[in-house]
Amino acid sequence: MADAEGVKHRQGDSPIEVRFRGGGFAPRSRRWVGVAVFVVLIALIQWGTETGWISALTLPKPTDVLATFGQLWESGLLFKHLQPSLTRLVIGAALGASTGIAIGVLIGLFSYVRAGLVPLVAAIFPIPKIALLPLFVIWFGIDEGSKYALIAFGTFTPTVVATYGAVDNVDRSLIRMGQSFGLSWSSIVRKIVLPGAMPGILSGLRISLAIAIILLVAAEMLGAEYGIGAYILEAGSLYDLERLFAGVVILSLLGVLVSAIIGLIERRLLGWRI
Amino acid sequence: MRLNRRQTLGLMGAAAASTLAAPAIAQNKKIVVGALRFTSHSGSFIAVERGYFAEAGLDVELKFFQAAQPMAVAIASGDVDYAVTAVSGGLISLADKGAIKVIGGALSEEKGIDGQKILASDAAFKGGLTAPANLGGKTFGMSTAGSSFHYMGSKVAQAEGVEMSFKPLQKVGAIIGALKSGQIDAWSIVPHIAKPLAGSGAVHIIGDISDYLPGYQVTTVFTSAKNAADEREQTQDFLAGFGKGVSDYNSTMIDKADGDDGVNEMVDLIHKYVYTDRPREKAAPSIINGTMRINEGSKLNIASIRDQLEWFQSEDLVGKDITMDTLVDGSYVETYEG
Amino acid sequence: MDIRLDAISHHYGATEVLRNISLDIPAGEIVCLVGPSGCGKSTLLRFIGGLERPESGRVLQLGTPPEGSLNPLTFVFQDFALLPWRTVKGNISLVLEDHGIRGARAKAIIDDVLNRTRLADFADALPKQLSGGMKQRVAIARALAVNPAVMLMDEPLSALDAQTRELLLDDLVSLWTRQPFTAVYVTHNLAEAVRLGHTIVVLSRRPGRIREIVSIETPIDQRRAGDPVCQQKHDLLWELMREEARAADEELIDG
Ligand SMILES: Nc1ncnc2c1ncn2[C@@H]1O[C@H](COP(=O)(O)OP(=O)(O)OP(=O)(O)O)[C@@H](O)[C@H]1O
Ligand SMILES: [Mg+2]
Repeated sequence: MADAEGVKHRQGDSPIEVRFRGGGFAPRSRRWVGVAVFVVLIALIQWGTETGWISALTLPKPTDVLATFGQLWESGLLFKHLQPSLTRLVIGAALGASTGIAIGVLIGLFSYVRAGLVPLVAAIFPIPKIALLPLFVIWFGIDEGSKYALIAFGTFTPTVVATYGAVDNVDRSLIRMGQSFGLSWSSIVRKIVLPGAMPGILSGLRISLAIAIILLVAAEMLGAEYGIGAYILEAGSLYDLERLFAGVVILSLLGVLVSAIIGLIERRLLGWRI
Repeated sequence: MRLNRRQTLGLMGAAAASTLAAPAIAQNKKIVVGALRFTSHSGSFIAVERGYFAEAGLDVELKFFQAAQPMAVAIASGDVDYAVTAVSGGLISLADKGAIKVIGGALSEEKGIDGQKILASDAAFKGGLTAPANLGGKTFGMSTAGSSFHYMGSKVAQAEGVEMSFKPLQKVGAIIGALKSGQIDAWSIVPHIAKPLAGSGAVHIIGDISDYLPGYQVTTVFTSAKNAADEREQTQDFLAGFGKGVSDYNSTMIDKADGDDGVNEMVDLIHKYVYTDRPREKAAPSIINGTMRINEGSKLNIASIRDQLEWFQSEDLVGKDITMDTLVDGSYVETYEG
Repeated sequence: MDIRLDAISHHYGATEVLRNISLDIPAGEIVCLVGPSGCGKSTLLRFIGGLERPESGRVLQLGTPPEGSLNPLTFVFQDFALLPWRTVKGNISLVLEDHGIRGARAKAIIDDVLNRTRLADFADALPKQLSGGMKQRVAIARALAVNPAVMLMDEPLSALDAQTRELLLDDLVSLWTRQPFTAVYVTHNLAEAVRLGHTIVVLSRRPGRIREIVSIETPIDQRRAGDPVCQQKHDLLWELMREEARAADEELIDG
């Protein structure tokens, strides 16, 4: 080796620093990039609508959307719309997610339940729940019942699938360990299976709750006078783009909020993860 | 005027066409007319079938829609040139954005002719909702806020001095279902839908819209603002062809000018477009029941339109600064204050 | 309490895993099980621990487990099997809770076993904060907490690096010398077997049969690296193992 080096040196090659090739593929926190993308996009739309390059029919002026938002706030209409929507979202999603988690755990634990319910869940998963809305109106009434049912039903199926997948993924060796120490069945479920499935359940909830927000608009198609979804639908039928976008922005913010709450729960409950 | 890409392209096309400087009549110009599969759109069907559009130099393609709302948007986007639909908040909003113009009238309430009915659900009827005066505190069905149902219900309530709550149900089918099952208390609809419903006993007719809104201009002929402003000749040609269709319809179906044979022939024609999923013998009564006089010469009741615009504005459904000139181009047809 | 294996045989599907294993495990002694990979050592251990049932033959307890033994047959696993969401303390209290031991009584036991495994300072640490060797000491502490009659250890040190393994071996030796326990200790590592085993059972390649039982008389705490008796036993075991390993290897190539 040393000789080879020497030979090279004698031939007059100067040493070259090794090229670095280990960069990338390591996600790092770059929060401001996301903000910058938003700012640039909105500025572009503002400029386009201002100059007429984007017609009034294509997109609303961001400042007009903001003004609409301001009016919503000042007139108190914002809370008149938000309050029923949040109630529907919370009750519907709580119903759907809790039964979803319960059924998912049962499927994960009992082969008979699994054999009986997995095909059923697979069959109802792809049904567009919106299509069932008229049916729900007949079953649960045109008022809040059908809205809770739609959101609950929509969050139920993804939660079930995520939950039993999470239970299946619980480290079998930990369950073996529990058995080897003579832990009772209920102790194993409570202390090993459920906490072990928690990461999967929570990441499933992220998706289910986003679906709940999507379904909020659908739920408010029938018979809702107030609600963010009703507001958006009304704006759409009036072709009022400012209100439409103001409503959509509220939904987006709701999505961000839900995601942040789950992030918080994850940080509290799943601090043990590597 | 601001233009989007599609409108700009359309204008360029129009400019290219006008350099040919040939009259529209000789050109066999291709246009798209939007329609719903309702008997009230028969004017267009007849004009197509009997060649009235062709005589006017237009090669018409009919494009069918499930609801009025997307049809209005299709006119705004330039995918459809002319259509007939009810005045709604959406339509006014699109006019405000410089996209569309009302150019004529189609269906209107008239004294002596069966018009739209006010309906009550069986449950509400048994509970005492036997006349529009008792509508206070009841729920009234509508497709969406700012629809013609919303307007009619509101005007009735206003006239009776009562307060109602309005339930948006998106589709006519959903409203009918909700009314039959008693989920809502009241609604208003054209007679050929109202009568069979009342006949089944599930709902009851408790009044006429014409008592509250005499001369109500229910539907209008409308087109894109670009057509109204820059395609005068083509627009006049369209109205001419459409008008002949309407005349045929009125004289055959209402005035029975050609007797029962004329009616039967007309039913055959309309059945090609309406109730196509039913056999002729089942479709015929519905088509005949649904007969309503359509405005001759697309006459437009400007007073009714003004009243509607003002109501939409008072409800804060559309901008307060919108003027009649923004909504209506009255230069094509005879207008009147009804 | 002694354990007796009485003519144990087992198949998994068409593969015969164990054939006619009879063995006595006397109280207070460490029995090491060695044998080529796949010969059924872990399977045998699961039979002893009652986690699976053999097709034929029986696992017998002779005598009663000592007073106060919460879980007579207790495993120590190769992969530690600690609950990652519980602290060191919580992992140990897990196995006490089901026996109704909480509060001060639990604390006394936990403190004792953590002291015995030199983990007192880490009672509140989560598993992710511990090194591999510490994790296995937690697992051993947890096993000690239920006061087992027999410890069933399946390659408890093989996930660890050589130095840690040495240190932990010393720990096990001193644990045993202070308070002798009964153990079945499965390993691939002959040095571990020679260091810990009172008897070393060599299994043949699959189907596993008892090939040889080697006893080492030297007291456990006096065995040193380079001790001639130990070295000789080590070489003997190595010869036995090499034949089996080579044969097993060739079988794999053929089959
Ligand atoms: N649950 C099971 N189902 C089917 N086959 C199994 C099962 N468990 C083990 N086996 C098979 O039985 C044989 C013995 O397995 P075992 O794990 O007991 O071997 P081992 O001696 O512990 O091997 P190693 O030294 O690699 O840990 C292997 O061939 C294995 O593939
Ligand atoms: Mg093994």
